Amino acid sequence: MKLEQAAVRDDFASTWRYQPLPNFYDEMLGADGSVRPHWRPLIEALNSIGPAGLGARWQEGRRLLHDNGVTYNVYGDPRSTDRPWPLDPIPLVIDENEWAAIAAAIRQRAALLNAMLADFYGTQRMMRNGIFPPELVFRHPGFLRPCANVPVPRGIYLHNYSADLARSPDGRWWVIADRTQAPSGAGYALENRLVSQRVMPDVFRAMQVHRLADYFQFNRELLRSLVPHHHDNPRVVLLTPGPYNETYFEHALLARYLGYTLVEGADLTVRGKAVFLKTLGGLLPVDLIMRRQDDGFCDPLELRGDSVLGVPGLVQAVRMGNVAVTNALGSGLIESAAPAAFLPTVCQHLLGEELKMPTVATWWCGEEEQLAYVVDNLARLVIKRTFQGPNVQPVFGAKISDPARQKLAAEIRRSPSDFVAQEQVALSTLPVWQDDRLAPRHLVLRVFVAAREDSYEVMPGGLTRMTSSLDSLVASMQHGGGSKDTWVLSSGPTAQTTLLTAPSISLEVSRATFDLPSRVADNLFWLGRNVERVEATVRISRAILTRLYHESDPASFAGIAAGMRILLALGHLAPRPTKATNGASKEARDAALEREMLAMIYDTDGKSELGATLRQLRRLAWLLRDRFSADAWRSINRFDQKFAAPSRVEALRMGGALNLLDDAIVTLSAFGGFAMESMTRGHGWRFLDIGRRLERALLMVDTVHNGLSVRAIDQNAELQTLLEIADSALTYRSRYLTSMQAGLVLDLLLLDEANPRSVAFQLARLVEHVEELPAREVSSRKSAEWKIVTKMLTALQIVDAAELVRSDESGKWSNLETLLATIGNGLRTLSETIARHYFDHSLASRQMSL
Amino acid sequence: MILRTTHTTTYKYSDTVAICHTEARLAPRSTREQTLLEHELLIEPQPSSLVSYTDYFGNSVTTLTIDEPHETLRIEAVSLVECHGLEAIHPALTPPWEQVASAVRRYTTDQTFEALQFTYESPRVRPAPGFADYARVSFTASRPLFEAALDLCHRIYTDFKYDREATTVTTPVEEALHSRRGVCQDFAHVMIACMRSLGLPARYVSGYLRTGGGSVGAHASHAWLSVFCPGFGWLDLDPTNDVIPSTRHVRLGWGRDYSDVPPVNGIALGGGTQTITVDVEVKPTRPLDA
Repeated sequence: MKLEQAAVRDDFASTWRYQPLPNFYDEMLGADGSVRPHWRPLIEALNSIGPAGLGARWQEGRRLLHDNGVTYNVYGDPRSTDRPWPLDPIPLVIDENEWAAIAAAIRQRAALLNAMLADFYGTQRMMRNGIFPPELVFRHPGFLRPCANVPVPRGIYLHNYSADLARSPDGRWWVIADRTQAPSGAGYALENRLVSQRVMPDVFRAMQVHRLADYFQFNRELLRSLVPHHHDNPRVVLLTPGPYNETYFEHALLARYLGYTLVEGADLTVRGKAVFLKTLGGLLPVDLIMRRQDDGFCDPLELRGDSVLGVPGLVQAVRMGNVAVTNALGSGLIESAAPAAFLPTVCQHLLGEELKMPTVATWWCGEEEQLAYVVDNLARLVIKRTFQGPNVQPVFGAKISDPARQKLAAEIRRSPSDFVAQEQVALSTLPVWQDDRLAPRHLVLRVFVAAREDSYEVMPGGLTRMTSSLDSLVASMQHGGGSKDTWVLSSGPTAQTTLLTAPSISLEVSRATFDLPSRVADNLFWLGRNVERVEATVRISRAILTRLYHESDPASFAGIAAGMRILLALGHLAPRPTKATNGASKEARDAALEREMLAMIYDTDGKSELGATLRQLRRLAWLLRDRFSADAWRSINRFDQKFAAPSRVEALRMGGALNLLDDAIVTLSAFGGFAMESMTRGHGWRFLDIGRRLERALLMVDTVHNGLSVRAIDQNAELQTLLEIADSALTYRSRYLTSMQAGLVLDLLLLDEANPRSVAFQLARLVEHVEELPAREVSSRKSAEWKIVTKMLTALQIVDAAELVRSDESGKWSNLETLLATIGNGLRTLSETIARHYFDHSLASRQMSL
Repeated sequence: MILRTTHTTTYKYSDTVAICHTEARLAPRSTREQTLLEHELLIEPQPSSLVSYTDYFGNSVTTLTIDEPHETLRIEAVSLVECHGLEAIHPALTPPWEQVASAVRRYTTDQTFEALQFTYESPRVRPAPGFADYARVSFTASRPLFEAALDLCHRIYTDFKYDREATTVTTPVEEALHSRRGVCQDFAHVMIACMRSLGLPARYVSGYLRTGGGSVGAHASHAWLSVFCPGFGWLDLDPTNDVIPSTRHVRLGWGRDYSDVPPVNGIALGGGTQTITVDVEVKPTRPLDA
């Protein structure tokens, strides 16, 4: 046995080159350098995989994260709204017995904090009796007076609670922060699990790791039991501040995973004392709001008048018992560090128990002795603001200069109640995978609690976050730390719960038709339009680039010119001074054209229309990520990143650009396929498809209008290019062999209802769609949209291709021009009409006070 | 004496308002100085929902929703209030102000505990260095609380100019202190800030002032403050008119500052530009027979 241990140790040290730090607790290695018993199975597995094997597996893990688009937002980072989620392959392993103690302590803490909130918002007995300083409540901006004495179903304020834990060198766990109003991270923990389980399925199974799915199941059951009405099929929404929030990815993930509708404040409205979701099908009652928005922002009427977010009248609806909100409005009150200084007493008082897990030593300067201690010991304390949220950066006494410390001490003496000091825990370390070896990092473990009807359920696992470097003791995604999965070991086999295996589970099926917020319909419509816009640009660019390659072909020039005219008309290329190009040699002209095309495709100057369209596409896809299956999202996310990050070397070569364009076509088709095959045929799908059809028809009109020059010497080359851009060359050849005739080409591109690329085909689909749109008023008459589309379709149906290519006195094909203008204008009117009727959700709200 | 109050608030919008949610704190409170006899709200257009509840400070609030499109909203509150007035207290008999501050800091009784929360800053009354300096001139060592408060009230009345143009509802109270100008709301906020800077509880009172007699603040909603004195309860002071409010003042409600008790407060969706007119009439009347 001894020998075996030593072998594991030596083997391990030489293979992975892991050096823990002295004076810190290491999660994996004991003080004597031996692997702790509960880590042994993992280390043995890692040893047999080896660094190279782990590297290979981890590439797969990163690909999964990348493809799933797992991101978080960094505030104040103008470069992007989201960053890839940093996950490390080595999990934090926690022994079953140790976990049982942690879980018991966290359950107790959840019950305690809940009881405190009930007291503060109810009788305030603790303050009256001198157990808890009233100043910490009365001065706290998170003490929402309108929420006092508001009934809370089952007395539950904290439906979800999370705590950040740290381990000190003596091996004890401490609570270092509480999250009580809208705790984030459970979704990321879930995503981490999905990835780590995929990358190390063998190890995961062999180690009997506790599963996370039950936690979400319990959470869902509780929410169902809280709703005031409609118990059988309650409508639960997840309220997000929006896509620019730090953890929007998680909001979308949880909404999809739990089967809730993801909404923003503007999607909800209070009517007659109850809350409703504004959908295309009208107002639908909402039974429960799971909020991820800070409570002060939830109701501009009663909470913060300066906030435009939120739902006016929400507090009143809660007060009337018509809607439940989780966590209860006002629960942010105890997120501050200061209450921790009083928890041991409060715990005795409220629960009659000892506090099971201590909070890191905390001093609230509002009390005289504590103030004296803090001022004398500033250099070894972390200083926080009493009445600011947990996201404000604390000051580390050790890291500031003497004068700065003196200044801080003076500031604290001036308004002592505004400051809290905490001891800095010497955070434990654990290995992270870095540069083909394992290196130590400090960690903080976030654990999650969900309330049940009469108890609290702790998620067996959690989100382990690391500091960004060894000198830093701040574990924060905002500051560039990484994250890990957390494996809680079980002594028996763990049950398989199916919920986990289906991250994209959608419970929308039965309601998809009705629950579509009009804001989402708007976004889907524009997503459809932008997808088509990108596809058309890609096809036109490809036609041009291919022809630049085949310069020996004399017909290619007319094709290139046609393509350029279309791109110019669509705003992709700047108008070119004809003089300069006419004088130059063909080689110089081609080189200039090539440069221009590459600049456009890769958006090198950040000004290209394609770049802007791609950014818009990315934004919309991001806004809509909860609406798509994981597969559809992956396809579009992958696509977006290709253009976003071109290889520098490839960017210089035409071949690279052509490959990119070829790939892009495939990806766009894949996205179209997912949309066709996987989206339920509700209004969501319909608006996406309306956007696509409308844009495709419009682009075809523009393509024909600009691509065809009636008097061209080499009209065949133009027609050939048009067919290629319209992806209809094959159809044409199979029908007419190689004889190019303008009339036949126009018939195929404009009039042929059997060609899925033709304008007529798009209009026929649009007629079907607008017939299914929810009626704006009760009337048997046809809608304005129907009339517009039908008029256009009829115009196409009654025209003959031969008429279109008939020259008038001035030699122009005026019939064609008139038809194209009619259709173009009709499509633009249709777009405006739909927007006016269905997307009118953005009325600005205003304060009515004097 | 019975007063009949009519408070009309009219919103006119340049565009249609699709929906509005409004809170009205327009019902006078029954206190030891006054008894509410009757109260009625007339709202045009008809609200689709109307609910009343009691807020954190004990004020009666009516919340209403109007979801029919409208360009004008008119809220008229009519009340009959019987004013008893209070027996005058002798300021010199009130305890030294330091004793009051210390009793509240120790909050051994329910009254002092309730008063405690009115010693802290609030959304519209933020602490600033100037307030304590200004207050100290009146609050000399061991001076009886109400005597000092009356003196402070008188100084504000003398030093500050009533000026409708000087401030808006969003003007920080510190600015009013510096400019020495403002309306009744600013006068009240300044004095509240002074009291709190010494650790003394003070709350904001929203109400009306009976028309006539050259008083400032009639024809609109009025505001003053109350200071807390153990054994005496909450004592009203009106720095805008340098008086102790009695039967000429009608109390609607109170809170930490204006933001807790705006008479009408709401959120409208749409509307374009809005014009608000407020009209208040307070007249002595006889109770309606039967």
